[in-house]
Amino acid sequence: MSFFSKSPWILHYDASSCNGCDIEVLACLTPLYDVERFGVVNTGNPKHADILLITGSVNERNIDIIENLYRQMPDPKVVVAVGACACSGGIFARAYNIQGGIDKVLPVDVYVPGCAARPESIIDGVIKGIGALEMKRKKSA
Amino acid sequence: MKRTIIPFGPQHPVLPEPLVLDLILEDERVVDAVPTIGYIHRGLEMMVERVEYTEMGFVAERICGICSFMHGMGYCVSLEAIMNVEVPERARWLRIIWAEISRVQSHLLWLGLGADAFGFENLFMHCWRMREEILDIFEKTTGGRIIHSVNRIGGVKRDVSDAELAAIVVKLEELGKAFEKTANVFGKDPSIRHRLSGVGVLSADDARAVDAVGPMARASGVVMDTRLSGTYGYDQVDFEPVTETAGDCLARVVVRMREVQQSIGLVRQAVEKMPKGEGMPLENKPRGNPVGETYTRLEQPRGEVLYYVKANGTKNLERFRARTPTFANIPAMIKLVRGCDLADVPNIILTIDPCISCTER
Amino acid sequence: MDREAFLARVGEYHKEGRRLALINVTTLVPAAAPAHGAKPEAAATEASVGETAAPDQFEITWVFENDKDATLEKIREQVGPADIIPSISEFFGAAFLYENEIHELFGLNVEGINLDLQGQLYKTATKVPFSHAAVKARLEALAAKTAAAAEAKATTEAKA
Ligand code: SF4
Repeated sequence: MSFFSKSPWILHYDASSCNGCDIEVLACLTPLYDVERFGVVNTGNPKHADILLITGSVNERNIDIIENLYRQMPDPKVVVAVGACACSGGIFARAYNIQGGIDKVLPVDVYVPGCAARPESIIDGVIKGIGALEMKRKKSA
Repeated sequence: MKRTIIPFGPQHPVLPEPLVLDLILEDERVVDAVPTIGYIHRGLEMMVERVEYTEMGFVAERICGICSFMHGMGYCVSLEAIMNVEVPERARWLRIIWAEISRVQSHLLWLGLGADAFGFENLFMHCWRMREEILDIFEKTTGGRIIHSVNRIGGVKRDVSDAELAAIVVKLEELGKAFEKTANVFGKDPSIRHRLSGVGVLSADDARAVDAVGPMARASGVVMDTRLSGTYGYDQVDFEPVTETAGDCLARVVVRMREVQQSIGLVRQAVEKMPKGEGMPLENKPRGNPVGETYTRLEQPRGEVLYYVKANGTKNLERFRARTPTFANIPAMIKLVRGCDLADVPNIILTIDPCISCTER
Repeated sequence: MDREAFLARVGEYHKEGRRLALINVTTLVPAAAPAHGAKPEAAATEASVGETAAPDQFEITWVFENDKDATLEKIREQVGPADIIPSISEFFGAAFLYENEIHELFGLNVEGINLDLQGQLYKTATKVPFSHAAVKARLEALAAKTAAAAEAKATTEAKA
């Protein structure tokens, strides 16, 4: 992909992660990894976001929040699940309050494996997410 | 006066983690705050029913990714106490070294987040750049950046060669010197002072009354640090707890900054004092299944953590409970938020260094 | 439990300047399988462990800590699901989190919490996940699953 027609903005939400993947997502923003060089900006506002980056799995309480955030984002939008927890529930899959991976509630476009997911793979996931976003945009155009 | 209720969280730009406070306001002043947690509650303590005690340490590490080393260590120390396993000396020193390095990591992380909360993004980047160097050390010595899994019941899994330890000390001291510059900005910059000093003051009596722990209590002048009791090898290093007296947000920042330097000093001491040589024993394997119960206390970056483990002689523990530092500091946070200005709420919440996934498990 | 004596003791700890370190509840479920590989002498020295509990009991422990000499003082009681537990939040303000948690996760009734969240602290998917019924259900499901897996393995091995 030689250029992006638009700089996609990221909304990060911590579902029920252990903080491990969470801080790796933040580490991506900092000087060593610096995803901002791809034009990606981390935003706190779902209405500005194109990519929803979720760490951690779905539990009883945050299920509504996740759906709510997703609904507030404008189309086209992409969901990237970061970490084993977000992909499948991970090590906590059998705990009583965990319902499973993010794909229980949202259509996930990119799965990033790892416990904790490494910044390199998170960046890779974001780039793949940008690709998916481009495709969706073309389809809807 | 008319009251307004403003929900703070769960998705808030300041906090990476979901915490909800219903702030009840009169004009700009917060009169009450009602916490709601549970957005990260996983039910981790129930995992003992399914996971055998030998493997539960890996689950314990994932209570929180920031203090993952300390959580793994706390779990292993608890089972060593129950099963009467002696940890080889070199392994004990290695644990201290890793524990102190992870304290530096956690404090740098927090200082960055704190700077971001009061709008100083530059400092955030600087702190996290330095933190990456610590993560490199972790990756080299344990194999993982965040989740290390080096603790075993009865010791540690890997050795670090003496040459490498010496190199780590050199690297840390360089980092300490570079950090001084950043610390200067935190301590001296007038805009930071203006934003933080005198905000969210917790007096020493109040800190005792709400049972605050860790840097939170020490910034109010309460001398408490579980490392003082000298357990797990801390009796062999010289160590003075860092305290401040002001009790405001700035004091909490200063305590953590001084602790970064202190921990670097502790790593140096540990490397000097530990027995040298290759191929020393690192692990005494436990035998049989554990029976009994124990309480373990460790000083984590955020304060004292307490583990309760009860075993009944089967492969699965009967109960595992971790009382994490943030769990103990939430009452203090609620106390501080009551009566403050709405604009100060993010700073007050952040200077507690909340770790929600620890709190809810 | 003796409410008056209990509160008096807690009040005393409060006056001594102790901190509340933990309130822990353990669901006492009689072990289904005999303790495997446990040393009998070790079991005998631990009075509370191994002793068969009356049905549906919880063990609740309040732990108080002294900063000066780092000692722990404990109060331990056995309670049933219907018992009423007095709140200690009037002495130790920080107790409300523990007590709300106990109420929600273990279904115990704590009376007089200064900030009662009415079972809305965690809002778990399984209501009262550490009640005896819930714990037993989980353990039985686990045992059934292990048995089924073993059976499936045995049949595939017999075929091979
Ligand atoms: S995948 Fe691992 S590191 Fe990431 S949130 Fe889950 S347990 Fe934590």
